[in-house]
Amino acid sequence: MNDEIVLKVEDLSVIYNSSRGPVRATSNVSFELRKGEALALIGESGSGKTTLSLALIRMLAKSAEINAGKVLYTRDGKTRNILDMNDGEMRAFRWNDCAMVFQGAQNAFNPVLRIRDQFLDTARAHGRNDKEWLRQRTLELFKLVRLDPQRVFDSYPHELSGGMRQRTLLALGVLLDPQIVILDEPTTALDILTQRAIIDVLNEMQTRLNFSIIFISHDLALAAEMADRVATMYAGEIVEIGGVNQIFYEPLHPYTLGLLRSVPKLSHGQDELVSITGNPPNLIDPPSGCKFHPRCQFASEKCSREAPPLTEYDAGHQSACWHVDKVIEARKDLYKKKVTES
Amino acid sequence: MATRSSPVSSASSIEISLLDRILDRWQKINSNYVVRTIIQALITVWAVITFTFFLIRLMPGNPIQVYVAQLMNAESITYEEAYGRAAAQFRFDFNASPVEQYFDYLGNLLRLDLGDSIISVGTPVISQIMRFLPWTLFSAGLGLLVSFVTGFVLGMLMAYYRNSPLDHILSFISSLMSAVPNYIWGLMIMVVFGVQLQWFSVGDLRGTYDPRLTPAFTPEFIFDIFKHALLPVITYVLGTVGSWMLSTKSSTVSVLGEDYVNVAEARGLSERRILTAYVGRNAALPLFTLLAISIGFVIGGSVLIESLFVYNGLGNFLFQSITGRDYTSMQGVFLFITFSVVLSNLLADLLYARLDPRIRVSGEK
Repeated sequence: MNDEIVLKVEDLSVIYNSSRGPVRATSNVSFELRKGEALALIGESGSGKTTLSLALIRMLAKSAEINAGKVLYTRDGKTRNILDMNDGEMRAFRWNDCAMVFQGAQNAFNPVLRIRDQFLDTARAHGRNDKEWLRQRTLELFKLVRLDPQRVFDSYPHELSGGMRQRTLLALGVLLDPQIVILDEPTTALDILTQRAIIDVLNEMQTRLNFSIIFISHDLALAAEMADRVATMYAGEIVEIGGVNQIFYEPLHPYTLGLLRSVPKLSHGQDELVSITGNPPNLIDPPSGCKFHPRCQFASEKCSREAPPLTEYDAGHQSACWHVDKVIEARKDLYKKKVTES
Repeated sequence: MATRSSPVSSASSIEISLLDRILDRWQKINSNYVVRTIIQALITVWAVITFTFFLIRLMPGNPIQVYVAQLMNAESITYEEAYGRAAAQFRFDFNASPVEQYFDYLGNLLRLDLGDSIISVGTPVISQIMRFLPWTLFSAGLGLLVSFVTGFVLGMLMAYYRNSPLDHILSFISSLMSAVPNYIWGLMIMVVFGVQLQWFSVGDLRGTYDPRLTPAFTPEFIFDIFKHALLPVITYVLGTVGSWMLSTKSSTVSVLGEDYVNVAEARGLSERRILTAYVGRNAALPLFTLLAISIGFVIGGSVLIESLFVYNGLGNFLFQSITGRDYTSMQGVFLFITFSVVLSNLLADLLYARLDPRIRVSGEK
């Protein structure tokens, strides 16, 4: 990892036009992604993680509208705003620069085409017609993701198991050597051993090919393992962002703290599990001030009036909360048992 | 399988192992998708032939008895004479035992001998069928093809622009069209454009071609063939295009919601490639089956239309045979229709296996 920034998102807002009014799916999201870095987006379902990642490759549903912000992408010293690209540039950008491995990759492959033809399709769409190069490259990638190269190359999708398809999709994802790979819940619907294998493969691939990862998950353990940095999303906003250890050991936002408390840990007793009370907010008519305040144990009158800005507290660690001090106080018991045990 | 033979005595175990071998061989044959499908089709054909045989011969008041009675009345001949004539025309020896009759009948069928026509005395039914069949295949086949292609293109358009005004208008039109039976379309064309507006002369367009022309590969003759087929073809298209549109739309809409179409877009594939190889090909899968099956109904479906436009195809021939009580011809055409339905189902199965790798492989396992 170095400090070269490949993606810089500034004040990105996405609105879905629904029959009941506009839904502010993400609002004023800003973050940076460095080369070779893995950034995890965590948060509940409906917190805007997938919307955010779809906006980055402009694959949002027709009812969605990016109404503000910039997505600046840098490759070889040239910086472009993705939101200004025309259709042709966008098509070229997709997969060649930024590949997305979707949630539920089980049906990611066209059932009537062989795997090799789908790899060929992808290469051809980006002007690479050399079949021999494609074959070599694909077989090499299959080896990297620990698949039987020749067999998978000639297979139809239905002849592969779920885990194999997922690995095939990962190989397809890095086929054109993209700078960014977006992984949206890459291991849901897979059994625990297969999940393990996928994560190992991903780590190895990232070391070898040095691409940046945006990793979307509500599995905090996976995020902790995969990510260099973590961003917590709540109600379409990034409420906390920081290094992986900062987020998991020194959270500065009550929502992150709540998420961490709601995860069972093998080393801890059942009694520690605490769920976050209340429901995710209505994004058509969000709460005033800090959107988390109706569910927050530290909420004060100020929280319902004024939205807290994302503020840097430690180096590279930002949180949007008026009561960071209370969170620091409260987080002391987060790993208490672990501390006493060790 | 061999383990099954262990508890029985050695003498019968030899028999069982033979049975096992036969079963084993059968399993191997049966595991081949194509062979299995063909065998199934052959069994169906055999069942139909047998059924027809018993239906015609053994039912009380069967067509042969009716025909014999007619002959006796019309020509005041004895029962034996009439029966003899009937037997000759139906290729049926009434002195033979039912079993012998049955095998004679099978043998005749294998030689494509369907008996002689009753109306056109001395003409074998098979040659009548062969004379009229090409015209039906031409007109109804063309109608089916035009209808399928048009319906498919419009259906995909509806799916791509769903919930747009275009979709609503086309949905309305296609529902309306598929609700109206094709002979109503035929009558409407005849009455509105032929009789009221006089855009064409109803009499001139009768038949399959102008009798003053000699059949030859001249532009004039070919043009004439198309001119005469035009009204039936338009009628077939109007009668079926609506349901093709609706089936294509629903099939395409469900494919458009598939992950692989999304992923293909994320992979940066061109719209054309996604439209053809990803959406089109998968959306067409169920439709090809429907298409192949509807080929089987081409002849049956042509009866009303061909008799309406007096188009000399197999449908009109069947209509004439029914009105003239030409039992041998009817029997021949009905058998032929059955074969074509079985054949087109076979075609559908084989085609589907060619187009969808999932079927092909699960059959081999």
